[in-house]
Amino acid sequence: MDLIGYGAFFLTTALIFAIISLGLNLQWGLTGLFNVGVAGFVAIGAYTSALMTTPDDPARFGGFGLPILIGWAGAMAVAGIAAAVTGFATLRLRSDYLAITTFGVSVVVQLVALNAQKLTGGAFGVGFIPRPFAGLAETPLLFNLSNLAIVAVVTLLAWLALEHLSRSPWGRVLKALREDERAAISLGKSARFYRVQAFAVGGALMGLAGAVQAHFTGFIAPDNYAPMLTFQVWVMLIVGGSGSNLGAVVGSVLVWAIWAGSGALTATLFPPEQQARAASLQIVAIGVMLCVILLFRPNGLFGNLTYRRRFGLKARKPS
Amino acid sequence: MNLQFVVDGLLTGSMIGLGAIGVTLTYAILRFSNFAHGDFMAWGTYATLAVVGAIGAMVGKVAPLGPFSFGWPLLVALAVGCALTGLLALALDAVLFSRLRARGQSIIVVMASFGASMALRSLLEFIFTSRPTYFSRAIQIAMPVGFGIRITPDQIALLVLTAVLVAATHLLMTRTQTGRSMQAVSQNPALARVVGIDVARVVRATWMLGAALACVAGTMVGILVQIRPLMGFDMLLPMFAAAILGGIGSVPGAVLGGLIIGLAEAAAVQFVGAEWRAAVSFVILMAVLFVRPIGLFGVKER
Amino acid sequence: MSGPVLQVDGLVAGYEPGVPIVRGASIRVERGEIVVVLGPNGAGKSSFIKAIAGLVPVSAGKVLLDGTDITAVPAHRMVRMGLAFVPQTENIFPLMSVDDNLKTAGGILKSKEAAERIARMYDTFPDLRTFRRTAAGNLSGGQRQMLAVARALIVEPKLLVLDEPSAGLSPKLVSMVFSMLSDIRKAGVTILLVEQNARAALAIGDRAYVLVEGREAHEGVASELWNDPVVAELYLGQRPQPSTGGAA
Repeated sequence: MDLIGYGAFFLTTALIFAIISLGLNLQWGLTGLFNVGVAGFVAIGAYTSALMTTPDDPARFGGFGLPILIGWAGAMAVAGIAAAVTGFATLRLRSDYLAITTFGVSVVVQLVALNAQKLTGGAFGVGFIPRPFAGLAETPLLFNLSNLAIVAVVTLLAWLALEHLSRSPWGRVLKALREDERAAISLGKSARFYRVQAFAVGGALMGLAGAVQAHFTGFIAPDNYAPMLTFQVWVMLIVGGSGSNLGAVVGSVLVWAIWAGSGALTATLFPPEQQARAASLQIVAIGVMLCVILLFRPNGLFGNLTYRRRFGLKARKPS
Repeated sequence: MNLQFVVDGLLTGSMIGLGAIGVTLTYAILRFSNFAHGDFMAWGTYATLAVVGAIGAMVGKVAPLGPFSFGWPLLVALAVGCALTGLLALALDAVLFSRLRARGQSIIVVMASFGASMALRSLLEFIFTSRPTYFSRAIQIAMPVGFGIRITPDQIALLVLTAVLVAATHLLMTRTQTGRSMQAVSQNPALARVVGIDVARVVRATWMLGAALACVAGTMVGILVQIRPLMGFDMLLPMFAAAILGGIGSVPGAVLGGLIIGLAEAAAVQFVGAEWRAAVSFVILMAVLFVRPIGLFGVKER
Repeated sequence: MSGPVLQVDGLVAGYEPGVPIVRGASIRVERGEIVVVLGPNGAGKSSFIKAIAGLVPVSAGKVLLDGTDITAVPAHRMVRMGLAFVPQTENIFPLMSVDDNLKTAGGILKSKEAAERIARMYDTFPDLRTFRRTAAGNLSGGQRQMLAVARALIVEPKLLVLDEPSAGLSPKLVSMVFSMLSDIRKAGVTILLVEQNARAALAIGDRAYVLVEGREAHEGVASELWNDPVVAELYLGQRPQPSTGGAA
């Protein structure tokens, strides 16, 4: 019984990562936009939904006690707008600028979460976030399973929507833009508009995932949204294979399994005082894994991405 | 008004500026934003610290030089640290970056540098733990120099060192064949080969120079603040912002950008609150991207 | 000292493996000659000359410079071997001063020797001396071409190779550039050039090859080639526009 409960808990977390990865896949896999601030957009969604749905707290702004679904919609909207603004600022420039700016977004979001106490509760975070099926909390197994069901439904909906989008004329334009720089240039301003849209939708999905997680754990704090999160999601997408929604989901489950498994392993192998150090070795291993995959299997498990040679090193010169 | 923030800003700006030189050169010559540059900084500092420790073990305690907090071992260690950091950069290029670069996908190289950054930083945490450490725990007396400004001997020494290094780097870039070759590769790598420049050599020189300056900048942070595995990663956004503000590829631009950001950060600490310091570079970065994306000394990309 | 300066035998080259653009071309350049390579658009002229300079991968055939096999020599070593190449476009470093542009090429020389040769270049091209502190990107089209050629000559190459030196220039500048090349030859430099502008090139050339579909289809004395009916049909029939800039 415990095993099923743990399995449900594990899968719920993994599928929340999968939703983030799906958003990232829309940005990177389909559109070729490099987002180094994933954690920032997830955090925006989590905090937005938390503020909208928690009961009123005199110590800070809100909460407004709204229904959970309204909170999720708000999370998508605010994260999507943040992504749109970021994209608007940088997408006319070299792709590196988007990477640097999104990195900056995640730094600043974490800073606001930490310091704007009146808005975010500061270092202590936001608690008492309403959980769906809170009434079932006394029977943990049922509670975990119902959480899993909700997250699975959200993941499935996101997946179906993305599959539909990528086959729609809109998705075909994005793919064309990714693969043919000349087409992108000939479309000019509207190419940039398409990219901003894709970036915003991807950001909205990340925000949704952040909100779903916030309501699943019931508590959020700035530390949850460190650059580490961005890194994990990237490894998940690259392992699964950029450009493939299936890859994004499978990669998330697989990498989260490796992560949780190696975490459990270090917990048993190392004495408590050495565990922080062992955990850093775990990150080293994942970082090396990312680089090895980029070097030897850039398409991951299911990827089908033919990377466009945009901004290459004077790409056509023979090496 | 208290002008102390000017000194603080110049010091922070020096560290950012020295680091940003490496960022801007990597971007201009190797054509990617190196997210691992901050970690070169941290690695260089820990390497310097380790060599100081090794010298201490060999020759025993050494008295500090004059009014400073450090003795000759630190200077020797800094030189060794710069060389080691250069080797680290070259090694990383050999096993990772150069292979991905050869495929002509610059954004994949950026991604790899992000992964390498995580791995490098966590490796430091594993070896040295995340507890902060120091070159010296001696407290220096700050001397008043007028206008309400106080400055320590260490701070003066590091400002002078920065000025010397920046001048030397500028002369290297503009007056020597190596510097001209670096400029040539950044402007047109194909033509550079045609005129007889060995691009692989230029790439090596770029890594060595950028990594050595990162090591110096990190050691400055170590002397004035503290040494932590995260010290370099925390400098990454200010360094990128400085490089973009100054104009990509411009060494004087990177330094000036670093000083502007350092001063702005110090002003923010004094007038807004220390907790918002890290937001300053983001605000400046966004302003530059909207108003003048090519930066102060930049030129339009072809 | 006998034998051709450049001998190319059955050269096969292209950017991607299995897709050759140059398909077995052979030419020969004797000491002191100006040899012109002509051909219709897409004939592979530009790739041919870049393959000789080490800029396009060669899959078969041989390039001999003064009897030395340079087929596998990487581009940046070509200058040391004595082959200087002037690309068609983007052949200067726009943000560097004229002086620094010339100095980049002096990298393989001792600094004193380089300084002497640069001074001599300024005597040959007084215009460049006037603008020596100017960023090369601010020069006019003709001055840029002059700078690119001057930079190539600093290493005193055995062979000067030019890819369409007239591309993008006004008719007046075209004649200036070609008379400059003619003078350079008189000073003893052997020249190989690819051209669209057949009339101007044949006027200064000694011999010419016509390249069609990646191999040489015709060879002859430059002055006669202009009147050759076969060549006229092959290529010269489509009279080139004076300012065509299209690469092959």
